Amino acid sequence: MIAIVCVDERNGMMFHSRRQSQDRVMREDMLRECRGRRLYMDTYSGDLFKNMSHEETEIVIVDDFARRAGDGDYCFFEKMEVERTFLTDRDESRIEAIIMYHWNRRYPADTYFPISLSDGCLSDREWKLLRMEEFRGSSHERITKEVYQRI
Amino acid sequence: MMKKMCAAARAGRRLLPLLLCCGMLLTTACADGRTPDGSAPGQGGAAGTVSDNGGQAPDNQEIITLEEVPGYSGEPYIEINGNEPDFQEAGQAERKKSFERYSVLDRLGRCGEAYANVGTDLMPVEKRGRIGKVKPTGWQTVKYDFVDGKYLYNRCHLIGYQLSGENANERNLITGTRYMNVEGMLPFENMVADYVKETENHVLYRITPIYEDDNLLAEGVQMEALSVEDNGEGISYNVYVYNVQPGVTIDYKTGESSLNEERMPGPGEDDAKVEIRGNSRSKIYHCPGQAAYEEMADSKHLVIFGSEQEASEAGYRKAKR
Repeated sequence: MIAIVCVDERNGMMFHSRRQSQDRVMREDMLRECRGRRLYMDTYSGDLFKNMSHEETEIVIVDDFARRAGDGDYCFFEKMEVERTFLTDRDESRIEAIIMYHWNRRYPADTYFPISLSDGCLSDREWKLLRMEEFRGSSHERITKEVYQRI
Repeated sequence: MMKKMCAAARAGRRLLPLLLCCGMLLTTACADGRTPDGSAPGQGGAAGTVSDNGGQAPDNQEIITLEEVPGYSGEPYIEINGNEPDFQEAGQAERKKSFERYSVLDRLGRCGEAYANVGTDLMPVEKRGRIGKVKPTGWQTVKYDFVDGKYLYNRCHLIGYQLSGENANERNLITGTRYMNVEGMLPFENMVADYVKETENHVLYRITPIYEDDNLLAEGVQMEALSVEDNGEGISYNVYVYNVQPGVTIDYKTGESSLNEERMPGPGEDDAKVEIRGNSRSKIYHCPGQAAYEEMADSKHLVIFGSEQEASEAGYRKAKR
């Protein structure tokens, strides 16, 4: 499983059960990352992709997607599954890589991405930054994409 | 969770000032990097119609009172009424177009409620001008070394410039601490601004400064927002943001301030001080006993703080476990 998440400057993801932000260009980038593979997400996230072309990516919308996704499948974590997946050893061990999009903005948050990838905090495993790139979004001046792989 | 009080019911309450400035007006909140130094006034509102309703809130509008707000306890804001905003009074016609309304200043010269329906047509197309000529009630030019940017107070837009393009509008600027401005209000404003830019939807947005009696400085502001076209699926919140600055004691009657002596380390205190371990990469700090505290000791991203307050002021948040 390859996890995809979006975070603000303090690793926030959600506030009041709503995503902190969204960006069309970021979603297009996400689809390019998943080209030729399955991309799992819940119904809440699925609404974001309703009007987007994704012929080369099979989007699977199901609320327990983290359990269903197999090796090499991509999972977009927003509202559901975050804590259960990332804070449970059994599930976390299934995560091969993490694609993290940074909004480079500060938003209010009450749900945070629970892994500190840079130093292994909250996890006994190490993550290696494979690549990083920045691009301009449709409503964000600068979005940073980082791809981490489990060592 | 705190209760709200209907405007009609609040008459006679000790904290009546809450409503004094309840005109339904739109303004703009503070933007990054504003400076409190005196300077030439900038250009006024970039877009939209500015009007006022005489400073009165609609009878059915619920507004919090200070009696209902718990004291500041380390977080820049608290949620109100289950985080659900109250825009029942907004009619269908009102929801369909952008507007901004600002309360007239009260007899003390204080700002009241600022109310808007934020749309892309209200947003500025040019950089914000100078606002230094405006002197909101309670204004003091004072510096503390440990405050971000040194200056204790900012001229805080109620409705941020990035939302409405309102610049040096005296009905939209209050005296607010740097902490309230940047840690409290700005993240909520960012969320609304980016949502509107991305979706081109509207967001009903109301900021109400809360005063006690005849104090010149607001104790805090209530921030409410609700996205219109998707009935709040995108944006929905109702929070109270504290007008405080950690480490500073403020006299809200006048805006005068002093160093909070309780914050200063006493003789020999350093020896007994616990070590707070921050991660410069994740901006998370860990306290003794927390899950990753020991692991952090060898991290290349380790930053040591003398207290949680110090870590918080540096922009770090506490680890969840």
